[in-house]
Amino acid sequence: MIEIVQTAALNSVQDLGRFGYRRYGINASGAMDALALAAGNALLGNEPGAAGIEVQLFPFVVRFHVPTRLAVTGAACDATLDGRRLPPWWSVPVNAGQTLTLGFPRLGVRSYVAVTGGIDVPEVLGSRSTYGRLAIGGHEGRNLALGDRLPIRSCEGAPQSSAAGFGAFPPAAFMKLPPHTAARPGDLVLRVIPAAEYEQFTEESLREFWSAAWSVTPQSNRMGYRLSGTNPLMRLEATEMRSHGLVPGVIQVPPSGQPIIQLADGNSSGGYPKLGYVIAADLWRLAQARPGTALRFVRCDVAAAREADRLAAFYLGQLRAMAEAQLRAMAS
Amino acid sequence: MTPRPACRSKPDDRPSITRMSTSLMNLAAPRVSLCGASAVLLDAEGPLSLPTQERIWSLSERVRDLSGVLDTHPGMNSLLVLLDPLAVDADAFAAELLKRWADTRPGRVRGRTIEMGVVYGGERGIDMPDFAAFHGLSPKEVAELHAAPEYVVFAPGTGPGFGFLFGLDPRLFTPRRQVPVMRPVGSNISIGGGQAGLGTPQRPGVPAATAPTGWHVIGHVPDAPVPFDLNREPPFLLALGDRIRFRIESVVA
Repeated sequence: MIEIVQTAALNSVQDLGRFGYRRYGINASGAMDALALAAGNALLGNEPGAAGIEVQLFPFVVRFHVPTRLAVTGAACDATLDGRRLPPWWSVPVNAGQTLTLGFPRLGVRSYVAVTGGIDVPEVLGSRSTYGRLAIGGHEGRNLALGDRLPIRSCEGAPQSSAAGFGAFPPAAFMKLPPHTAARPGDLVLRVIPAAEYEQFTEESLREFWSAAWSVTPQSNRMGYRLSGTNPLMRLEATEMRSHGLVPGVIQVPPSGQPIIQLADGNSSGGYPKLGYVIAADLWRLAQARPGTALRFVRCDVAAAREADRLAAFYLGQLRAMAEAQLRAMAS
Repeated sequence: MTPRPACRSKPDDRPSITRMSTSLMNLAAPRVSLCGASAVLLDAEGPLSLPTQERIWSLSERVRDLSGVLDTHPGMNSLLVLLDPLAVDADAFAAELLKRWADTRPGRVRGRTIEMGVVYGGERGIDMPDFAAFHGLSPKEVAELHAAPEYVVFAPGTGPGFGFLFGLDPRLFTPRRQVPVMRPVGSNISIGGGQAGLGTPQRPGVPAATAPTGWHVIGHVPDAPVPFDLNREPPFLLALGDRIRFRIESVVA
């Protein structure tokens, strides 16, 4: 069991999402930075979809009541275990009674705490992800609160915490993005595949979309990111659309002309015209973008998106192989 | 009290809406589009109709268990299929989906019929005065037109257990707002374009919330059944194909 010693609203238990219930209006939810959660699980030898804690408000402090192993990935927060500093993307054994503290991140927005075997809350409709709208999943169907006790598996015979940890290169160092001619240092480049209504926008708006900087506004959360730009995006003709299913990463353009990118807890269906889709392999980058970040979009096709997915899978595979070798060596 | 902006468009400039008919005949050519590399959207095109929608439900059931398919989501006249991009090539799947659409027959779904009493107008039907004026009707006439048909649950809404309804009288088709407004959520009776909506009821014990919407809220169901209960089998109140009959409880001036 682990106990939440310090938290704020919006920190929650998440896995890779809930699938198979869209026909009842239930979308996937799941970790915003799914790559970071999967990497945390790989560092522990867990299944990729084991549940972890998504931390998006800091500081966050938990106490372990059983020995296990933990990994902290995602945003580079100042993580310490009983005051001893943990490098980013690190896997380390932990003893009963030890305290993990995550400080405000220097880079990124969301950190993930994974433990061996995953956070052992019950599966609801095939997932452990917290789905607040329905109050299901996660811990009692809600975000974490002070004093909550989360079930985890005790790892008997786990190495003492004096044993060395090991870590991973964060994916940004491994996965390069294509250049954007107008990008400035600190801008985030995202790859976008045009959507069904792409041709319905004016040429001027399409030029603007690909060339301008789109700022992440403070009205951005697990539901979606609202962007603002200098010139609103306009369609040739304002026709109405019927409600249809949406996926995370979809860039919708409401009549204001300022785009919205739907994300993990976003609407599962909607009727706004869609200009494009941020490719799935880049969603973790967006999930780590702070308000004020300037986004730049570069055009992408399905083949390149598949290549990016394969690269992410390769990264996770390498990470898993390395971690399993390390864990085997420690056990022997 | 601050005057609310009236419906933006005039009745005679809503061509995109009046084009939607309730014809049961049209099964026009479908269109597929890629939603990134990990989903495909099939749009049946043509007007909303029960046979087309029954065909979409059939297709949804036929493809949802295919290898590499993560989930399927019937929309209004459309089907979204979510894919594992490492297992399935979206382009190839789009072609396959079109092929399967061609040989999919409407699966006759005759769900349950559920009756619900509606309070039209008033605080929880705040858009009723403007809505009625827009159509040159009285609120009572709007209520009567709205409550007359039997609606079919065509597609899931944004919350579970409730959804998008088919059957709205074309005389009540109304363009969505250009700028969304905040409205209380919970069992809302609303209209957006040619679609009718029934909002997810407020969960007991959860504080009342508001949400932005471009739809026109003309009433609510005060005693809406609980849409979702894990201790019930099935947990979801409404399934695709279920019928809803609205009864006029009252029309608040």
